[in-house]
Amino acid sequence: MTTTCPIPIATAERVQLGHGSGGKMSAALVRERFLPLFRNDILGQLGDAAIVDVAGQSLAISTDTFVVQPLEFPGGNIGSLAVHGTVNDLAMMGAQPCWLSAGFVLEEGLSFDVLDRVVQSMADAAREARVLLVAGDTKVVERGKADGIFINTTGVGLRPADFSPAPARAQPGDAVIVSGPIGRHGIAIMTAREGLAFEAEVTSDSAALTPLVNALRERVGDAVHTLRDPTRGGVASTLNEIAAAAGIGIVLEEHLLPIPGPVAAACEMLGFDPLYVANEGLLVAFVPDAQADDAVHALRSHPLGRAATRIGRCVREHPGMVVLSTGIGGTRVVDMLPGDQLPRIC
Amino acid sequence: MCLGIPGRIVEVHDTQGLPMGVVDFGGVRREVCLAYVADQIKPGDYAIVHVGFAISKVDEKEAKRTFEVLREMSQLDELEWMQDLTP
Amino acid sequence: MKYLSEYRDPKVARGLIAEIKRAATRRWVLMEVCGGQTHTIVKQGLDELLDDAVEMVHGPGCPVCVTPLEQIDKALALASRPDVIFTSFGDMLRVPGSDCDLLQVRARGGTVRIVYSPLDALELARKNPDNEVVFFAVGFETTAPANAMAVWRAKELGVKNFSVLVSHVTVPPAMVALLESPVNRVQGFLAAGHVCTIMGWTEYEPIAAKYKVPIVVTGFEPLDILEGMLLAVRQLEEGRHEVENQYVRSVRRDGNQPAQDLVSRVFELVDRNWRGIGPIPRSGLGVRAEFADFDAERRFALEGIHTAEPEICRAGDVLRGVLKPFDCPAFGTMCTPEHPLGAPMVSSEGACAAYYNYGRFRSAV
Repeated sequence: MTTTCPIPIATAERVQLGHGSGGKMSAALVRERFLPLFRNDILGQLGDAAIVDVAGQSLAISTDTFVVQPLEFPGGNIGSLAVHGTVNDLAMMGAQPCWLSAGFVLEEGLSFDVLDRVVQSMADAAREARVLLVAGDTKVVERGKADGIFINTTGVGLRPADFSPAPARAQPGDAVIVSGPIGRHGIAIMTAREGLAFEAEVTSDSAALTPLVNALRERVGDAVHTLRDPTRGGVASTLNEIAAAAGIGIVLEEHLLPIPGPVAAACEMLGFDPLYVANEGLLVAFVPDAQADDAVHALRSHPLGRAATRIGRCVREHPGMVVLSTGIGGTRVVDMLPGDQLPRIC
Repeated sequence: MCLGIPGRIVEVHDTQGLPMGVVDFGGVRREVCLAYVADQIKPGDYAIVHVGFAISKVDEKEAKRTFEVLREMSQLDELEWMQDLTP
Repeated sequence: MKYLSEYRDPKVARGLIAEIKRAATRRWVLMEVCGGQTHTIVKQGLDELLDDAVEMVHGPGCPVCVTPLEQIDKALALASRPDVIFTSFGDMLRVPGSDCDLLQVRARGGTVRIVYSPLDALELARKNPDNEVVFFAVGFETTAPANAMAVWRAKELGVKNFSVLVSHVTVPPAMVALLESPVNRVQGFLAAGHVCTIMGWTEYEPIAAKYKVPIVVTGFEPLDILEGMLLAVRQLEEGRHEVENQYVRSVRRDGNQPAQDLVSRVFELVDRNWRGIGPIPRSGLGVRAEFADFDAERRFALEGIHTAEPEICRAGDVLRGVLKPFDCPAFGTMCTPEHPLGAPMVSSEGACAAYYNYGRFRSAV
């Protein structure tokens, strides 16, 4: 109990769920508790993957851990997600994903049927993404300690010398492009989660983005300044991170955002903003305005990118801040959320 | 108070004596308690839903009228603006 | 979405804004008493676009913000009990109590679950007969019928492990308290469309007459709010002070009778302490004696709850419309959405959070 301190709950003494949400708490956790101890230039870039040079060849390395609940959802499961997520992190740095390792933590009591479906999905996803699973590990923990399955995948890819998208390369004058409709994955997860109990015609967009990245590279080459896949925290969080890394402002146009009807409807019901809902088969690309139409065309030539469109532009003003221009002529800030979006009644 | 959104009643049933229904919100469906609108509502009607309860039937005539009035108002303004602009 | 998207038409909105500017011969002060309306106003920048014609003061319309500190502390105590599954609407999870919030209680090992509907909480009780399930029944009159039904059904179905922690508040007494205040500047009100969907608007007629203020029952979409403002401005220009209904597609004068009936069978009017404002007599709802088994306050011994609001938090002044969020010394510095000092910064409907998330740009540019 505090009586005199005017800031009673500024510091949480323990980890909270919000620290894993991809918002400000997550960023603070990494910045304050991890970076100072692991200090090095490569990590400090905080890109989707680390770039290291080995005998004149650039390698990209990325790791991701998957703890999604429920394990199976419309459009995929934790297995396909585990492959797509890491493959995409490599692709966002311009690398061709080549090899994956997978570490499994299995909960005692997990049904083999579920495990088989998850592993089959991983194998299918890996084959489609043309990556080889070359190393693995499995541990089993007691009932109650692992929510069914946790999966970590680490990926290694080869980056060509002439293609190096990075968050800091975004510049004023760049167009902001998304490769497809936003908000599908997060809403698909919500529909499968108990407690909110609604049905929606929404499936996860979980997919490997390598073909889209290749299409962009072929058409526009190194004019692709930045690529990022907006996973947890949604498009808004990703754009905030890029704006901060590059020291630029971003202006979005509300009427350009591609939000599918059922995603919009589910968001209305829960009081969510689609800009903060997770995606798993979507990329945002920053390309100079002069090449933006070509970039959109390149994306649309592939089934995954059929709905690709411009959603905004980069500016010199308000560096680090993302703003949205509404249809009525108003403007508002699209900030990073502190933690997870919570359904509301108000 | 707040988050109440309009949805279309798709189906009506009874759960242990409580009137319930399935409501469609632009492609999302949810079970909704219809106890407070039971005598006025049938499949195909629209209702405002708050925390899983239908709290009113949307009066479609009134809704249409409001919108027409508003639209007319904005069109009049457009004409006036155009008059201001013409030299 | 039908009956939603049409009321966001930008062209019509611009037309309405022009019409309001034309109608107002001076700067009127209006208050909306509803968090959802605050959200729309700030999200669309409506108050900015209308600044010369109308000053919008954001009232205590977010039940999350006005939930008394004692009730939050009781919620935290209940949620910390090992035998309790504590259920709540999502908005309440980050509201700070004297010591922490529900999310931190969850981190410490408490079982806290978000539900969309009170009936989902009841269902959870039926599925978990070995646990006590407590539902945090907050809200204005809009949510009371849903919460009442959960209690009613629990009794009807003989559920033995379900109870509610009630913190309902009602709008008219708060409006009167604001109007009685010597520092009141508000000249007209937008009444909450969904509160009135349940209650009708008869309670507002004596208020409009006594205090000579126009009260327009208004919806939540941009066009609703703009039309509501226009009707209020026209009344003020013409010297009228009546209750008018803008939200005709949902609100009727007598409201929803079956809903009102069930609420009065399960709940009764009690005095309530509004966070940041203070006690307002007969402005809240409590559980009637016949349903005592389902009242968490009577069911659990809640001892030793010491309530202490941080001194620097000016939530009360903000909720009364006396202080604009960005004039508060703690706004954006000590008090931000990541570490809120008071409820208006936590709730997405709170005036402070609304300003922080949507309004910072205007100050920056």
